[in-house]
Amino acid sequence: MTNILETKDLTVTFGGLNACDHVDLAVPTGKFVGLIGPNGAGKTTFIDAITGYVPTSAGKAVFDGADIGEMKPHERAQNGLVRTFQSLELFEDLSVRDNLLVAAYPTRWYTFISDMFHLTKRDEDIESRVDWALDIMGLNDVAESMPTDLPHGRRKLVGVARALAARPKLILLDEPAAGLDTAESQILGGHLREFLNHDMSVFLIDHDMGLVLSVCDYIYVLDFGKIIASGTPAEIRESPAVKAAYLGEQAGEIQAQEGERMRGQQQETGEDSD
Amino acid sequence: MSALLVALIAGIGAGALYAMLGTGIVVAFRGSGVINFGHGAVAGYTAYSFHELRVTGSLYLPWFDPIPEFGFLKTLKINNLPVRIDIFDVTDPISGKPNLALTVLVCLLMSAFLGLLMHFLVFRPLRNSPTLGKVIGSIGVFLYLSSMMAVHFGGQNRYDAGFSGFNSTAGAVENFLGLGRTIPRSNFYLFGAAIVMCVIVWALYRFSRFGISTRAADENEKGAALLGYSPQFLAGANWVLASITAGAAGILFLHKTQPAQIALFVVGGLGAALFGNLTSIPGATAGGLIIGMVASGGVEITNYDWWPEILPPSGVRNFVPLLAIILVLYLRGDKLPIRGSISIGRQPRAPKTNNVSIGVIAALGIALLLSNIFVSKWEAVLTTTLIAIIFMYSLTVLIGFLGQISLVQWSISGLAAYVMIRLMADGEKIRETDFVTNSGWGWPTVLAFVAAIVVAIIFGLLVGLPALRIRGVQLAVVTIAAVIAVENLLLRNPPLMGDGSVSVNPTPSPNWFGQYVGGFNPNTARTDYWKFSLFLIIIAGLVGVGVANLRRGQIGRRFLAIRANERAAAAAGINVARMKLLGFGISSAIAAIAGCMIAYKLPGLQTDQFEIFGGLALLAFAYLGGITTVWGAIVGGCLIAGGLLPEFLGVHFESIDTGLINAVGAIGLVVNAKVTNGEGVALLQTDLGKNTLAMLRRPPDDESSENLNDEEAKV
Repeated sequence: MTNILETKDLTVTFGGLNACDHVDLAVPTGKFVGLIGPNGAGKTTFIDAITGYVPTSAGKAVFDGADIGEMKPHERAQNGLVRTFQSLELFEDLSVRDNLLVAAYPTRWYTFISDMFHLTKRDEDIESRVDWALDIMGLNDVAESMPTDLPHGRRKLVGVARALAARPKLILLDEPAAGLDTAESQILGGHLREFLNHDMSVFLIDHDMGLVLSVCDYIYVLDFGKIIASGTPAEIRESPAVKAAYLGEQAGEIQAQEGERMRGQQQETGEDSD
Repeated sequence: MSALLVALIAGIGAGALYAMLGTGIVVAFRGSGVINFGHGAVAGYTAYSFHELRVTGSLYLPWFDPIPEFGFLKTLKINNLPVRIDIFDVTDPISGKPNLALTVLVCLLMSAFLGLLMHFLVFRPLRNSPTLGKVIGSIGVFLYLSSMMAVHFGGQNRYDAGFSGFNSTAGAVENFLGLGRTIPRSNFYLFGAAIVMCVIVWALYRFSRFGISTRAADENEKGAALLGYSPQFLAGANWVLASITAGAAGILFLHKTQPAQIALFVVGGLGAALFGNLTSIPGATAGGLIIGMVASGGVEITNYDWWPEILPPSGVRNFVPLLAIILVLYLRGDKLPIRGSISIGRQPRAPKTNNVSIGVIAALGIALLLSNIFVSKWEAVLTTTLIAIIFMYSLTVLIGFLGQISLVQWSISGLAAYVMIRLMADGEKIRETDFVTNSGWGWPTVLAFVAAIVVAIIFGLLVGLPALRIRGVQLAVVTIAAVIAVENLLLRNPPLMGDGSVSVNPTPSPNWFGQYVGGFNPNTARTDYWKFSLFLIIIAGLVGVGVANLRRGQIGRRFLAIRANERAAAAAGINVARMKLLGFGISSAIAAIAGCMIAYKLPGLQTDQFEIFGGLALLAFAYLGGITTVWGAIVGGCLIAGGLLPEFLGVHFESIDTGLINAVGAIGLVVNAKVTNGEGVALLQTDLGKNTLAMLRRPPDDESSENLNDEEAKV
C-alpha cells in the first residue's frame, strides 16, 4: 500500500525548543489517521510544517510521491494537501458559499479577462462538489449568509467544508470538533468516515479522545514533539506509554472527563479569540 | 571629495526637520498606534499661523466658516463661527511686530489644540476601525490642514526674518573646517534644536509618570487599562505632545522652507520614525539626520561629470526618504511593531454589483442626455467627472477589493500621461499657444496609449513588489514616499519626459479611428467636444462594467479572500503573491487610462496636476462615495472639485473654493470612516442602511426610536 503522506525526521525548531522532534509518520492512501497528544505537544506545529506555514529545520515530507519541502503553502494546497485551521480563518467578506467557491475553482492566467467580460464559465462539476460539501456539513440553509452571522460552531464547519470543496487528496483537520456544540459535533463525527469515500485520505488532530478513537484507522501519539506511540485505536487504548504521558493512570474514567474538559477549554479560548 | 563631505554635513539642516517630524510621529504612534500622515501638515499650518501672527497680528483657527455670507443667508444675521482672532495690535509704533516669545507661545498652544482636535474628532472615534479607516483618517487630517492652509493663507511662500540665527540668510560659516566651503550657520542651530527636542521628549518618556504609563500602554493596552491608566487619556496627551513638537518644527523651519513644503517633509519624517522602529526617539532623530545627510550628499554627487543626466538632483533628494523607508521595511519588516490595540475593526463590506447591464444602460443614457444638454463649461465639468470616475475604479480594485492601501496610483496616472505625450510628440508645435515643443517618436495615438498603459502596468508591478512582504499601513507609508519620489524623479525630468515637463508639457492631438477626441482641438475650435464626452462615456462604461464583473467573478472572490485573511487564502490554494500583483497591474492599467484621458482633455500638462494633494483628494472622494463598489466610485467622481455636484452648487449659489471642497471632503472622509466604515453609498446595502430605511417606512414606536438613539450615540 502506498502512503499519501510520509515524513522522515521532520524537525521544527523555535529558538532552542524542538516543537517537532524527528517525527516519522505515514498516512496510507485512503485511510483515516489521527494524531493526539496533550496541549503544547506540537500537533498544530506539525500541520503547519507539512503545509508550509512554518519552516522545517531538518527532515523531509513526501506528499503523493513528491518531496514538498520547497513548495509554497498555496502550491501544496493546489496539489491536494488541504488543511483547516484551529482558529476561525474564514473569509469574512464572502458568503459561506463564496468561501467554498474560492477554494473550489482553479484560476488560469486569463481568468481575470474572462471575469471582466463575465464570460467565466460555471463548472457544474465544481458547483456540485460545493453543494456536496455544504450538504455534508449541514450548511445548506446558510449558504448565502455571511460567516460572521453564524454561531461559532457552524463557522468551524464552514472551514471544514471549504477544505472539502478544494478536492483534497489528503485533508488535514486541525481540531475540527473544538468549540462545537453536541449537535454540530454529531454532524461532524457522523460524516468524517464518509470523507474516505470521496477519493481522499484524512489526517485528524483532536482533543476529543472519544472522537479520535472511534473514527481513526491508525493513531499516532505526540508528546513534547516526539512520537511516543502509534497503533490502531485498540492498541493505543492499551498502550502503557500513552496512558502515562497523556491519559494518566486510570485511563478509563479520566479519558472521558479529559476530553470533555479540554473541549470546554477550547470552546472558551475559541470564543475569546473570536 | 571635500565638497561631498561638506554637503553631507550641510544635510543636517534638512535632516533636523526630518528628525523633529520623526520624533513627533513616534510620539503619536506610541500613544495611539496611528501613523500620522498629516503630521507635517500640522507643522506647516503652525508655521503659516506664526507668520500671519507676526505680520498681521491675527490668528486663523483651523476651520472655516460653514455659513457663507451672501444672499438670504446674510440677512438672517446668524452669528458665524469665529475664524480669525485679532490677538496682537501690529500698529504698535515702536516695534511694528508682536512680541516674539508670546507669538511662539500662542502658536504652540494652537498646535496643542490641533492635537486635541485630531484626537477627539478623528483618531479616538476611529480607534476601532480597520487599518484602512485609520490610514484614511490621517490622510483626512493631511488633506484638511493642507486645504485650510490654502484657504486661510493662500498657499504662497512666506518669508520671515523671525529668529535671526535660524534664518538661512543670517550668515554662513566661511571655509568650514578648512575645507574651503561654506555652510549656512542656520544648519547648526537647527541641528542643535533637533537634538534638544529629542532629549526633552526622550527624558519625558524615560522619567515621567506620563511617559512610563504611555510605554506600558504601548506594550499592552489591556494591561495598562487594568492598572487604571486610561489608554484614551494617554492617547490624547500624546497627540498633544506630538502636535507641539510638530508646531515647534514648523516655526523653526519657516525660515528655511516654505510652509506648504513642510507638509510634504512628512515623508522624510516617516522614514526617520521607521528608523527608530516607531518606538525609539533617539533612533528617529538619528534616522532623520542620516536621511538628510544622505540626501544632501546625493544631490552633491549629481554635480559629478559621470552622473547620468536622467537622474535630476531634486529627484535624488526626494528619492532618499523612499529608499530609507524601503530599506528599513525590507530589513525588519516583520519585526516592526504593530501596536496591539484592544480591537481591530472589520473591513468595509464589498457587495457584488448585480444587474450590471441595467445600471450601465441607465447611466449611459443619463450621461448621453447630459452631454447633449451641457454646453461650453458643462462639457468640461462632465469630462472632469468621468475622468475622476475612471481613476476611482482603480482605487476600487486595489483598495476596495484587494485591501492594498496604495497612495501612488495617481502618480501612475501621471506617469502614463507623460509617457504617452513623449511617445506621441514629434518635435513640432501642436498649437500656436505652446511655449515648448517636445521631441519624441511621433507614435500614432492608439499605439502610444497602449504603450503608456504597458509602462504604467510595469511600474505598478514594481510598486506591488513591496506589498508582497509588507501590508496595511506600512504599504501606505512606502507609497506616499513613492508619490514624492515619482514626481521629482520621473515626471519633472526633461531628459525622460521632454522639455515641457518642468513647466507645461503640451499634449498632442489624439486621433482615434480618424476622429479627434480631446478637449482642445486647435483646428476646429472645440465644436466637436461632444466626441470627447462620448468617448469618455464609453470608456468609463466599459471600465466600470469590467470592474463590477471582476467583483462578481472568481478573481473578485480571490481578491476579497486575500483582503480578509492571507493565511487562509494560501490554504485555499490561492497564490497570494500573484493575485496581489494582478491587482496592482489591473489597477495601474485603469489609472493609466485616466491619466491619458487627462492629457487628451488639457492643452498642456503640469506636474502639479499629479502631485500628492490631487491624488489624496481623489482617494478621499472615492472613499466618501464608497471604496468597495463601482457605484461608490461614480458618486465619488461627481463630488470632486470641478465635478458635477460642486459645479452645480457653484452655479446656483456661489462658486466654491477648491480648498473648501477638499476640506469638506476631508471632513466627510472621517465621518464616513466612522459611520459606514468606508462603504459609502453601499450603505444602502448594509444593516445600518436597511434599518434606517425600515425605520423610515414604519411609523415610529418606542423600540425603533431607541435604536435610533443608540445609533446616534454611536455616531
